[in-house]
Amino acid sequence: MSTREIFDSRIESGLLLLPTLVVSVVFLYYPTAMAVRTSFFDSSFGQADEFVGLENYAALVTDSAYHSSVLLSVLFAAVVVAGVMAVSLYLTFLIHEVDTGQGVYLISVIWPYALPPAVGALVFLFIAHPTLGVLTGPIEALGVDVDWFNDGPQAFVVVALAAIWKQIGYNVIFMIAAMNNVPDTLTETARLDGVSGLRRLVSVYVPIMTPTLFFLVVINTIYAFFSTFAFVDLLTSGGPSNATNILIFDLYQEGFSFFNFGVASAKSVVLFLVVGALMLVQFRVTDEYSYYGA
Amino acid sequence: MPALLQYAKRGVDALRRDRSTETVRGASPGTHLQLWVLVLAVVFPVAVAVIVSTKETGVVTSLGDLLPGSYAVENYREALVDYRFGRFMWNSLAMSLVIVVGKLVVSVFAAMAVVYYRIPYKDLVFLFILFTLLLPVPVRFVPLFQLMNDLGWSNTILAITVPYVASATTVFILRQHFLSIPASIVETAKLDGVGPLRFMLFVLLPMSKGVLVGVSIIMFVYAWNQYLWPLIIIDSEANQVAQVGLQLLQGDVQGGQLSWSLVMAGSTLTLLPPLLLMIVFRKPLLKTFNIQQK
Repeated sequence: MSTREIFDSRIESGLLLLPTLVVSVVFLYYPTAMAVRTSFFDSSFGQADEFVGLENYAALVTDSAYHSSVLLSVLFAAVVVAGVMAVSLYLTFLIHEVDTGQGVYLISVIWPYALPPAVGALVFLFIAHPTLGVLTGPIEALGVDVDWFNDGPQAFVVVALAAIWKQIGYNVIFMIAAMNNVPDTLTETARLDGVSGLRRLVSVYVPIMTPTLFFLVVINTIYAFFSTFAFVDLLTSGGPSNATNILIFDLYQEGFSFFNFGVASAKSVVLFLVVGALMLVQFRVTDEYSYYGA
Repeated sequence: MPALLQYAKRGVDALRRDRSTETVRGASPGTHLQLWVLVLAVVFPVAVAVIVSTKETGVVTSLGDLLPGSYAVENYREALVDYRFGRFMWNSLAMSLVIVVGKLVVSVFAAMAVVYYRIPYKDLVFLFILFTLLLPVPVRFVPLFQLMNDLGWSNTILAITVPYVASATTVFILRQHFLSIPASIVETAKLDGVGPLRFMLFVLLPMSKGVLVGVSIIMFVYAWNQYLWPLIIIDSEANQVAQVGLQLLQGDVQGGQLSWSLVMAGSTLTLLPPLLLMIVFRKPLLKTFNIQQK
């Protein structure tokens, strides 16, 4: 590796790194430091910041609405991660099994990777609309009263379904690569031993795919926590009665509906800890399985 | 009676055996059927959107209403011109292109420094860049909003592009790729007395075409689909991007001034650029994802 280091001008390397480092410091590190600082202040529009110590954090510890939002986010992430991974794994398996039309099947299930969440949200709002939706009639025929503008659990399901749908593409992209890496000889042996269908997926492919699946659990959890904002904003605005008020939406409202920058910053710091914990888990797991990948 | 059961069981076993021998030869028609159903489910919401965007009104209450209408030209013209979607699309395109080009140049520089230069504390520098993975927009949008106000960048293209230019992911993918270029080629270049600029332009970039295309698509999809940050920082319609423009259209629908067919036309327009890019460049895109995971 050292043989690749063919240049040694300090000035040149400094200039090459400069743009990335400057933007990182100014727009990534500095705002994060600011968030930590502001979290110790009472801060909002048009008034001088007042130092309040840990008061904002204390408020979060005792705020039962915030606790509900934390629990809701965990539940939402669990449902979305489990849903996305189950559907994607099965889809990937089916695509892996067929020997004609693989390319076409693949592109027709990975395209949601490119789907803008805002578009996904509006399309879902339209097809599942309680009075106008195409799907509303057929679902009500099954005996369910579609009323997710007022019914919390139903709203939760609609947002989760939309979020799952959008994330299928990304998961299949990684899963198909991992499944194609399973040696053909292993598949053949399993087939000759009469291990067919789902059993082969569960007891042969999944164990070999563990590193990829762990990676996806972390990525999907981060997605469920942070990248589903547009779904919540456009489908339910966190309602009805906070049934879909996940942390990222709660933070947005704290900052930009109520303009409590102090409390909002404390909530940002909490989210930072969430990302940190998830990344740490990922590093640990990747370390543990690194010899698999090679 | 037991004999009959025995007979039936043998029959079922025979059928089972038939099915499993079939999977040895190739996928059963059942696999294709399941794939068809699942692909249909994944494509259905967007297919509805496209169909509705061609109809006079957005009223589609039963599956029988899902026949294309003849108002496509009318609807798309109205969305693009009367509802300024042309403007939003243009703003989105400008934002995405600036982010893609900016990120690409800045990240190629940084990755080149990290791989081909002898730098003191190299691991520390690389870690400093990687650590920004812990600081996604959701963690810092509150202080970033204040920073943009202080800089006077609110409501400008600078606000929605510059903070995205530093990219740990892109630097990481490029570094991985550079490390896979044989060291012998690099050493030959050095022996030939090739300077850093010529090395980058005539050795590095030509050997990285696939990855550069792949990361560009990833960056474009990411940039184009941004919703939360433009929603917060852009507050004039003239500078707004398509994702948030959709939200404005939807607001008009709730107000009863607009038909759903226009919202679906807007949604279809917003979906097209990332979707087309992904389909056209799927091969380099999938290869690049493979690098990312390693």
